[in-house]
Formats: sequence, structure tokens, C-alpha cells
Amino acid sequence: MSNLRGKAYAMNTISPMKPWKTWLLRGLFLLIRLFPQLNRGLPALSFIHFARWVIVPRSAFPRLSEHQPKERLQYDYLLFFSNFNGTWNQYIDAFSAVLSKGLNGIWRWSEKFPGSVPVTPFKNFITRGQLGTDYYYTAYPHATTNDVKAAHRVTAALDELAKLNEGMPAPEFGEAYLKFVLKVQGDLGATGEAPVGT
Amino acid sequence: MSKLDVTDIQGFALRGYNFPFARYLFVKILDKRKGQECLGRFIGDVTTGERWDTGKPRTTVNVAFTFKGLVALGLPEASLLSFPVEFAQGMKARGAILADTGRNSPRHWDALWQEEVHAWVGVHGQSPQDLDKQCENLQEQLQETGGAAVIGSQDAAALQIDGKFSSKEHFGYTDGFGNPEFLGVEKDAQPGQGKLKSNGGWEPLATGELLLGYADEAGELPLAPLPHLLANNGTFMVYRKLHQNVATFRRYLKEKGELYPGGMEKLAAKFVGRWRDGTPLELSPDGGDPKIVADKNQNVNFTYGNDLAGLRCPVGAHIRRTSPRDAFGFNGKLVNRRRISRRGMVYGPYVREDQEVRNEDEHGVVFMALNASIFRQFEFVQQQWIEYGNDARQGNDKDVLLGNHEDGGKFMIQGTEDPKNPPFLCGGLPNFVELRGGDYFFMPSITALRMIATNSVDPR
Amino acid sequence: MANRSGSVYGLTILSPIKDDLHAEVSHSQAIRMYLQTIPQDQRSPLARVSSTHMARLLVMDDVVYFGMPSCEEHLSAKYLIFESNFDGDLDTYLGRLAREAKEEVDALWQHCQDYPGVEDEGAFIAYMKKCQVETTFYFADVNDKTVQQTLRALQTQSAVATFIEKNQGKPPDELQKEFVKFFAALRNAPEPMPGSGRAREVTDKLL
Repeated sequence: MSNLRGKAYAMNTISPMKPWKTWLLRGLFLLIRLFPQLNRGLPALSFIHFARWVIVPRSAFPRLSEHQPKERLQYDYLLFFSNFNGTWNQYIDAFSAVLSKGLNGIWRWSEKFPGSVPVTPFKNFITRGQLGTDYYYTAYPHATTNDVKAAHRVTAALDELAKLNEGMPAPEFGEAYLKFVLKVQGDLGATGEAPVGT
Repeated sequence: MSKLDVTDIQGFALRGYNFPFARYLFVKILDKRKGQECLGRFIGDVTTGERWDTGKPRTTVNVAFTFKGLVALGLPEASLLSFPVEFAQGMKARGAILADTGRNSPRHWDALWQEEVHAWVGVHGQSPQDLDKQCENLQEQLQETGGAAVIGSQDAAALQIDGKFSSKEHFGYTDGFGNPEFLGVEKDAQPGQGKLKSNGGWEPLATGELLLGYADEAGELPLAPLPHLLANNGTFMVYRKLHQNVATFRRYLKEKGELYPGGMEKLAAKFVGRWRDGTPLELSPDGGDPKIVADKNQNVNFTYGNDLAGLRCPVGAHIRRTSPRDAFGFNGKLVNRRRISRRGMVYGPYVREDQEVRNEDEHGVVFMALNASIFRQFEFVQQQWIEYGNDARQGNDKDVLLGNHEDGGKFMIQGTEDPKNPPFLCGGLPNFVELRGGDYFFMPSITALRMIATNSVDPR
Repeated sequence: MANRSGSVYGLTILSPIKDDLHAEVSHSQAIRMYLQTIPQDQRSPLARVSSTHMARLLVMDDVVYFGMPSCEEHLSAKYLIFESNFDGDLDTYLGRLAREAKEEVDALWQHCQDYPGVEDEGAFIAYMKKCQVETTFYFADVNDKTVQQTLRALQTQSAVATFIEKNQGKPPDELQKEFVKFFAALRNAPEPMPGSGRAREVTDKLL
């Protein structure tokens, strides 16, 4: 029963929204999908593998059959699932420091949202609505999203070098190899265990 | 913001004294009431942040307490429980977080640190005689009240090179640059010490990043112990005795320096991000420059925005890891709550480069850092930026000098096609630095000291 | 399609959990207990369903009350939430779950309302789709590489760092020889196992 697996943290949060506000949030997400540059802060932070927001309207909780009781709810619910790198505090500190406008845009429609700045009431809000992960799996626990992206760059550069090398005389290879190292020299961090969760 | 009442703040929290000699006494409180009485007598000797208009005193004295020390001095439980978790646990218990494992784990620490330390008394002096005199004085006071006893001490002194005091440490690096600048703390401010402004200039950091009771960089008053009066104008201090394996360092630098086309001095510079004379690599990639070192407006005034690839200063270099400035983008906003004020002092005698030296000899740095939140500031830098490298996009690679490499890590120096600045991988890294002891301390204001001494701490 | 980003699919399943007042151990408790016994590494059932990048399971006991003036309300059922990020299309993935994680899927979803079992794959897929909620906004930092490509890349990255270290300073002809050997060895290296987190062990053997 842990939120952690290797270098990844599985965060789940839930927050209630008055149904009329849900439409405003849907509108915002639509805008971001249409104009991705609105969302450039998120990939720039580079510590989330995958994240999703799921609006569950009050009538949309899955119901398999008639004999199962209906949900009778006043609020719609916003579920948020994140797979991120780093510690819980580091993650929220970073968002509060540089993406507060975006966060406010998404969570202001939730009841009792205190704003993402200053950070302590924001952390209390998240804590209140965080659901514990019971089981977490990642195919690459030894890698952060930075590691993954670096690895793909290294692989592409290596494949390119191997291709170039076909039939290349040795001195030329020497030069090509140097160019290769220059290309990958920032991407060679080791992968492995995560620092202890705090 | 309101002006700081410097007479209420311990001077050591506000600035390094730049005295060449120091002795750190470690004290155990023997009896609650006598301990309080002893502290009461001692308060008058504590050096505050007052300016020295009539010249520097011969010595300075400051005091700080571990959690166990505060317990021994009889603080009420409700107040004790309001102290941050990491402080209450003490540094020894935080080993997994700090990577104080293997050679750095507590079982290898000095005998002193196997004991329960309650208080740190920092005495700085202009000469060894001044130091001895002040320490004898303090010892007498302790004995008279019977409230506390000195269980160990650590001497430190600036290296004396060619008859002059130097700001170099044992690996040959000129140290002491880059301490942060805080709003309201008067000292010789230099551009580059604070935080980046949106227009590219620098401004002071929020006072609350150093002192409790003031707004911090997150725009709030940081969590602080109760009552307010106990915490205000106080700060937390991290003390770590960092032993330096000088022989190993010299051997490794020489060995790799012979292979590295830029030469040994450049290699040394690449490890840290400054040439050993203190010149920042970002400002002078080809050689040390005494003019830059001497210029207050230059020697800490640089950013990494034009060198994101690490071609001048490697991405994993020590100063870049510990003070990333704008290296993570967002105009440096991500790092403003991760700054620490350092007050380190060298210990052990200077050994010339051509003289034989052994790792076992006592050489090192007494590392002391001050911050409002040990967890958010020091521990974060130690865990995430020194013993790990993801934020710097260096995966699990550790800081080349301070990292606990255990099974041999690596340090990659990014380069260019210039044959004197090639890419170069330093592998098989040994532990150049080992931890030999330390703990977390709370450095109270003068008001708080008085409250503790008179047993008048009310949690509500 | 909001469930998809590039080649990655974001699946969110909320399965109502049975509520048996006569059970000694509630179904939700049983789920939690069972989840504690499943390995998280290469022995995980989700490692077998090897198109899974990252996935989690949790029991949602109830919605959360944030305090006045918001209203207190409660769910009438608990839900087993399954959040997964995987390569390829939904039907294929659900089919693989049914076949390759048969035992664990049964053990978990047997506690959920109207679960049809995995024997009839069609029925299973239909059931899961009934439990699916649409993702409103999906972010995937890397959305154009499969699990296998990523694992290979991580293996390669580790091997390249070792190669660069071992061959630093060598003259071009020797370097080239070593490179050819290295590249071939890397090509022939065993497929890295999802979930294991051990790039270095494998690559150390390579060189």
C-alpha cells in the first residue's frame, strides 16, 4: 500500500465541484487542448510521466445494473491522477512557485479551494483530498521522465553513428565519434534507485 | 518590511565573522534548573547582530541547541512537539534521507558524536590566546553553576599559507563565495547573491528563508515552533564535520589531470564550477582571473542561461548543483526556497602540494548552514542536488566532491570540439569527503534565550 | 479523443465494489489485502501485460468532505479504481489483461458488482468499458515510444556511458573496432524486463 514505486509517485486526488462550474472547467481544458502553448509550463517542469484529470459528473459513476443503488450526489467530482518524480513536497512546491495560474484555473471550481499560493494552505487542501494508492506499477522504476527522454536521445544518436560508420575509414570515425559524444554528453546520468521518500 | 532588531538576533545567524580561529564546544545539560541558571548567566556574553562600530571584538560567542538539549532545559512538551520533525529526530536519525550511509554512517563518526549533544557553543577569536581565554571563562561559568559540562570540542582555523591567512580549503579551492542575500540583513551585498529579478538583475531573498517569524519566498510565514516569541528571530543550524581525504583527492586529480587535455587546474575547475583561485568558470572559461575574484560586482554575478549545455561550467559541477540560479528555467523561481547560508571553517593544518599527506590525518571543513527550514532547505539540497542528480538532468550521478559514491560513481564534463575543452568522463569516483559527525541545532534569539533561561516558555 | 495522447492510452476504470453486509471481511478490505500481496517488480501481472507503462489500483472508500459551507455527501458504493497508461488500443489491452493477468484480475474484480469473469473475453471487455470514465485532459510527457522502446533506450543509455568511459582517449582505429563489437553486443542483448528497474546489471555484463 504505497504511493511510491522506484522514482515514481502515484498521487490521486478528488475534489467536489458544483455542477454548473464543471462546464467552465471543461471549457478550460478544451482551450488548452486547442492551444497547447497555454500549457507549456507543465512539460518544462519535466517531472511528470503521465497525468490526467477526470471529471466524473454526479450521474456518471459507473452503474452496472438496476439492483445496484444509484449515486445521489449534489456535486460533480474532479479526479486527478499523477505519475511524477521527486518528493510530494518538492512537487507541490514547484507547482505553487511557477504554475500557480494554471493550477488555479483548474481547481478554482472545486469547493473550498484556497488558491495555490501561498503553499501551505494549498498543501493542506491537497492532503485533504488525496486518496492513498493501494498498488503501483511502473515498467521503468529506475528512470525519471528526464532519464527516459535522455535515453531516447542517446539511442537516436547511437543509431545514427552506427549507420554513419558503415564503411567509414577509422580517422573519419574518430571525428564522427567525437560529434556523437558531444551530442549525448548531457544525457548520460545513471539510472537506479530513488532517494528515500520524505 | 520592518527593520530587523539586530540586537535580538545572534550575530552568527546574520553573517560570518571572518575571524581566523574558532573553537566549537559541545555541551551536555546536566540538570534542568541549573542548566537554565547557567544559560541565564551566559546570555550577556552572546554576540548579537549589532554592528561593530568601534572595531571587531577579540572573540565572539554564540549558542544553539539540539532538540534533546531543549528537552533537557525543560521546555514544555507542547512547545517541543511544535518543533519540526527533522529537528526533533536529529541528524543521526535522518541518515537514509541524507545518504549518510556506508563510510558516512554514524558508526564511523567521532567519539563525541556517539554521545548525546545538547548544545553548541561557537567561539570565534582573533588569536588562539583570545580563544583559550574566552573558553576558560565559559568553562568556569559552567563549573560554577554545575548546570552543564563540555563533552567535546572542535577547533578550526583558516589555513595559513606562506604566513598569511587564506580562504582556501584543503583541496586547494578558494571558498566562501555565494552566500545568499536576505532582505533587511545588512551586509556587503553583491549582485548574484540574491534571487533573479524578471529583468535579469538581482534582489534580496525574503528574510523568512533565513529567520523565523518573517515572510518567506512562498509568501507566507513558514511553519515555526510555538510560541512565536520562542521562534522569532531564531534560525536552524546544520552542523556537519566533513573530513577530507586529501591524499585521495590529490592522487585522483593528478591521475585524471594527466589524461584530461585541458590540464589539471582546468579539471579541478570543472569539478566545482570555479577555478581554484575562485574565478567562476561561467565568466572565465579559459583560466583564473584575479581581477574577477577581487571584484565584488563580478565574483558571484553570473547565470547559466547562456550555458544550458554545460560547456563552460559542467551541468553537474558543485556550485551549479548546489546553487542552480537559472539553470532549471523559470528565471530561477524553483530554487529560491532552497538557499542556505554557510559559515564553514577549515580544520587541520595546511599541507603543501609537494608534501606528503595521509587520508587519516585530520583535515576537513566544519560545515555549518543556517536556514529557516532544515527539511526544505539543507536536507533538500543534500538529498536531491548533492546525492542525486535528476533536477540537473544527471540521473543518479552525485556531486563529484561531496557525493557518497560508495561503489564508484562518475562525473561527466561536457565539452566542445576545442581540443582544450573536450568532453571528458571521470569514472571510478572515490569518496573525497566523509562525514564524521554533526547534528541539527536551533539558534534562538536573545529574547528566546531569556525565556528558556527563566523557564517562561508558554506554548499558548 | 481525450483518452489518448500520441500512441499512449489513458484508461480510467471505476468499478463499483460489492457490499455484502454478511461478509466477515468486506469486499473492499479483501481487495486491499490482496493488492498487498502482488509483487510490484518484473513479477507483477502488469509486467506480463507488457504494454503497460504505469498503472495503479486503489479503493475509493468515499468522496471527501471539505468542510462547511460545502455540503457533506457520500457515495452509496465503494469503487475499485484502475488507472493505466499503456501502448496501443483499448480492446487489445483489455484482452491481454483477461488472458495474461487472468488470475489477478479475477481475484480483484470478483469483489466488484456484476463482474462476468475473464473466460468470456468479450463479456469482460464490455464490463470494463461500462466501468470506464472518460479522461477529460490527458498529459503524457513521452507519448511516442512504447514500453519496449523505452526499456531498450534506458539499457542503451547505461551501456553508452560505460562504453565512453572504457574507451576514453583511445586512437580511432581501436575505438572503431570496439564500437562495432559494442553495437553488436547491444543489439543482441536480452530484452529488458519491464518492472525490474535494473538497466545497469544487464549492461555491465555486456561490456
